[in-house]
Amino acid sequence: MSAALGEIWRNRIFYLFALPFAVLTILFGVWPIVLSIEVSFTASATALKPSPTWVGWANYATVLADPLFVASLGRTLVYTVLSVVANVGVALGLAVLFDSTLLKRGNLFFRLAVFLPVVTPDVAGYVVWRWLYDRSFGAFNAALAGLGLPAFTGLSSPDTATLSLLLAELWHHTGFYMIIFLANLAIRDRALEEAAVIDGADAWQRWRWVILPQIRPALIINTVYALIQFLKTFTVVVVMTKGGPNDATNFVSYYAWQLFDQGRYGEATAMATVLFGLVVVLSLGVFVFGDREAAR
Amino acid sequence: MNGVGRTHPLLRFAAWAVALPVAVLFLYPYWWMMVSALRSTREIMSAPLRLLPERLDLSIFSEISRIGGVELWRYALNSVAITGASTVVGVVVTALGAYALVRKPKLPGFAVLRWGFLVAIMYPYMLLVIPVYLVMYRLGLLGSYSGIVLFLALGPIQFFLFEQFFRAIPKEVIEAAVIDGASEAQILFRIVLPMAAPVTATVALITFLINWAQWFPVMLISTTPDTYTLPVALLSMNGELGANFQGIMALAVLVTLPIAVLFLLAQKRVMAGMAAGAVKG
Amino acid sequence: MSIVSKIFGAVALTAAAVVPVNAQQLTVWHDLGDNGIKWFEAMGAEYAKTRPGITVRSLSFPTDQWFGRVIGALNTDTAPDLIFNNYERVIRIETQTGKVEDLAPVLAGIADKAFLGEDDLRVAGFRGKTIILPIQRVQMGFGVRKSWLDKVGEKFPNTWEDAERVAEAFRDRDPDGNGKADTFGFALEAAKPRDLIHMLDLFVFGSGLRHTLIDPQGAIVVDEPAHAKVLEEFLKTYSTYRFVAPDTINHSFAEMYQVIEGGRAGMFRVGDWNVKKWDGANVLAGDFLVGPWPKFAADRDNAVVIAGMRGVAVPSNAPNKALAIDFAKFMLSKAAQQASLDNVGAAVRKDLDVSALSPRAQYFARAEGRLVAYDFPESIHEFYPELEAAYHRRLLAGIANPPADWKPFIAETAKEMRDLAAKLAKK
Repeated sequence: MSAALGEIWRNRIFYLFALPFAVLTILFGVWPIVLSIEVSFTASATALKPSPTWVGWANYATVLADPLFVASLGRTLVYTVLSVVANVGVALGLAVLFDSTLLKRGNLFFRLAVFLPVVTPDVAGYVVWRWLYDRSFGAFNAALAGLGLPAFTGLSSPDTATLSLLLAELWHHTGFYMIIFLANLAIRDRALEEAAVIDGADAWQRWRWVILPQIRPALIINTVYALIQFLKTFTVVVVMTKGGPNDATNFVSYYAWQLFDQGRYGEATAMATVLFGLVVVLSLGVFVFGDREAAR
Repeated sequence: MNGVGRTHPLLRFAAWAVALPVAVLFLYPYWWMMVSALRSTREIMSAPLRLLPERLDLSIFSEISRIGGVELWRYALNSVAITGASTVVGVVVTALGAYALVRKPKLPGFAVLRWGFLVAIMYPYMLLVIPVYLVMYRLGLLGSYSGIVLFLALGPIQFFLFEQFFRAIPKEVIEAAVIDGASEAQILFRIVLPMAAPVTATVALITFLINWAQWFPVMLISTTPDTYTLPVALLSMNGELGANFQGIMALAVLVTLPIAVLFLLAQKRVMAGMAAGAVKG
Repeated sequence: MSIVSKIFGAVALTAAAVVPVNAQQLTVWHDLGDNGIKWFEAMGAEYAKTRPGITVRSLSFPTDQWFGRVIGALNTDTAPDLIFNNYERVIRIETQTGKVEDLAPVLAGIADKAFLGEDDLRVAGFRGKTIILPIQRVQMGFGVRKSWLDKVGEKFPNTWEDAERVAEAFRDRDPDGNGKADTFGFALEAAKPRDLIHMLDLFVFGSGLRHTLIDPQGAIVVDEPAHAKVLEEFLKTYSTYRFVAPDTINHSFAEMYQVIEGGRAGMFRVGDWNVKKWDGANVLAGDFLVGPWPKFAADRDNAVVIAGMRGVAVPSNAPNKALAIDFAKFMLSKAAQQASLDNVGAAVRKDLDVSALSPRAQYFARAEGRLVAYDFPESIHEFYPELEAAYHRRLLAGIANPPADWKPFIAETAKEMRDLAAKLAKK
């Protein structure tokens, strides 16, 4: 024990360095999560009072028995999977295109165009997208009509609302995944490709067996980032659909937020905990899976 | 290097045929936003495809000079102050913290701290509404600039960038300094930090860009619009009393333009930095 | 160390700075936007004449933010001095916080209040407390674009048949003359639970019916013949009739107003508080008529809908409570009420000067239309909010996937509501 204390004392300067970081992490990261989990075990009406009523797992039972929540959870998972695939796929495609020399000096311009939405405040971007989509007064449908194409129902139909959100989010996020692929592509070993050319491999074979294995790290990282990102989808719903139409885009974080807004704190935080668990499990799952694949 | 000589003109054409429409789709919303800021609601809705405004009339900016009882310049000032302060605090705190965690990862508590941080950034933070509200309340920070600034200070990419940089410093450099009898403070301030100037600049830039866009924590910790930033003001523009559509677009331009310019000026550093910070995670 | 101490020093300083210290400033939180802010400025100036040195500062939030802010502030003792909103919203604040001051003694102490009727005072009360002083009557009429009516050769629609005909003409006959088929009959909303029910309320009460979903005895009314007719036409307006923009299913207040103010729909709700803005040159420039909601049955009078009262409430933990109460009383004075009428378009006093108002504003100020007030099922049936949420979901599902025949849909909905009400009542 005293050995440990001695070590701490000898390294006190490092504790001092880490102190502000630790304080902020604990105060605004760990403590709120603990509090949130705590609230999920209390009765909503008393959650904000100094001595709340403890109700055990009751909020979790209510939430899991709520067909709307279960539907919302399913919807969130489907949306997440589609978004991850679409974002990572598009990002990979664009990265390969922009990494090639096909576009010559246009490369930088295209990279900037795709990346600019990443640093654009999401609220401002989605406010615009919301009206671009409008079935009657939006630019997209005006353009489609001008080209003689059928209208896109966009946010006005439950069938296309999810797709609409997905595309708007793709616009905002895919540039981020793209630059990660680009960074990975830039550090790959090009000698391997030249060797493959000498061995008579065609473009597809080079891509599949030489390049793709080398960008596995970026693929895993992007998948995990995208999973975390899209499981938590929120702002786009707030700005564009408010969960509608007919609950088609009522994802878990928005549904929980609505309950919170109605003062149903216990259930809202129970949902938060469920979603949190999901984020952690899925992210770790991808990492472990990725590691095992890499080790094979 | 990459067999440039062999690229077929048709392939080049195909590449442009893909890239150009993509770029147009990605940039069109910006154009539409800027044009709409200069057109009346009626004009926007009846001719949404128009590429240029009917006239150059900037009076909309005086129409939105006060939103919800607070002057527009105050929101703008808040944006600059909150984003700037959280960037400074974030860079200092993260640099010191990451340095300590990288230099002595085995010290009691450090691994736990790192894990705590990693877990915290995975939490769906829009659901921290109640607890963060309670935390801020108990600390007496509710409605204060400090509360907002401190909450915004930490972020994953920033941490990973520093962590990665400090890990890459050759052990010999530091060992040599130790042998020379330098104290840890001297090592940090005389040797490590000067080396870290470029990464610090990158982190500062990225933190600024990310925090400029933040709306949820700002709205949550504020108790009045006095501490709102521009993005929150943008969300507050539509109420039951009506929404000024043109005004929303004009404000969206104000929210977007400064950050877009900053990004374009520093694009290389930002893109490289974000990629590096993310890859480390 | 120095960095750490600086950060926390700064924290402590700023924290100290945000604690309200200026006892001479009253803060009001409302959701009335710029007109509301001007109103409070005008009242503040008037108030300062008798109470020198006291300033009034009002802040306007979007309604949903207003709820969150007020509930949070009252629960954490960071309340403003006064809050101002519709009575049913103040009731929600009271149920969530229990920290709305009982103004019964204050009201009893006001001599000049003969203009407040029994109904007005009834909505001010909740669970034995007087939670608001009623300040503005909330009236909602039926508005129609005047130039569009002229263009298609119609008059202000009085019956639903008229309204249907006009809606078709507005949709199909290019009433704004821009050469495009981009106009609609109605601007409505449906997005959030309250939005759709709120619109239904207007059709129901405006046509002279008394209840939207459930009567005070607990009977579900949606499939009563007179009611079912209104409901069916209402649902068809959103779906089969194509009288509204397809995006309406996703529209909330903000988008509904954008459609109205962007000149894309010809018939819409007009609240007394909307008139001033819409009389403005940049918005509708006064190009609209206001009247009662359409008539659905020959034997029942149609009306302008009264959605209760907007009133002022004082949090029991208001920093300057005594002064706040004094200001709340002042809001019923003639000067304050005149400012209310001039800036927001509504008031409760009847002795105000309305001559300066536009004809549309006068329609409300003089209460020219027949008035029908909302019912208030929340106060009778504790379970009502949950029932209404289910009702909303059911109706919205119907609008999203319209059935070929609405009659069985309405019958099924009624049955579902009965079952749910019975289940909820038992809980």
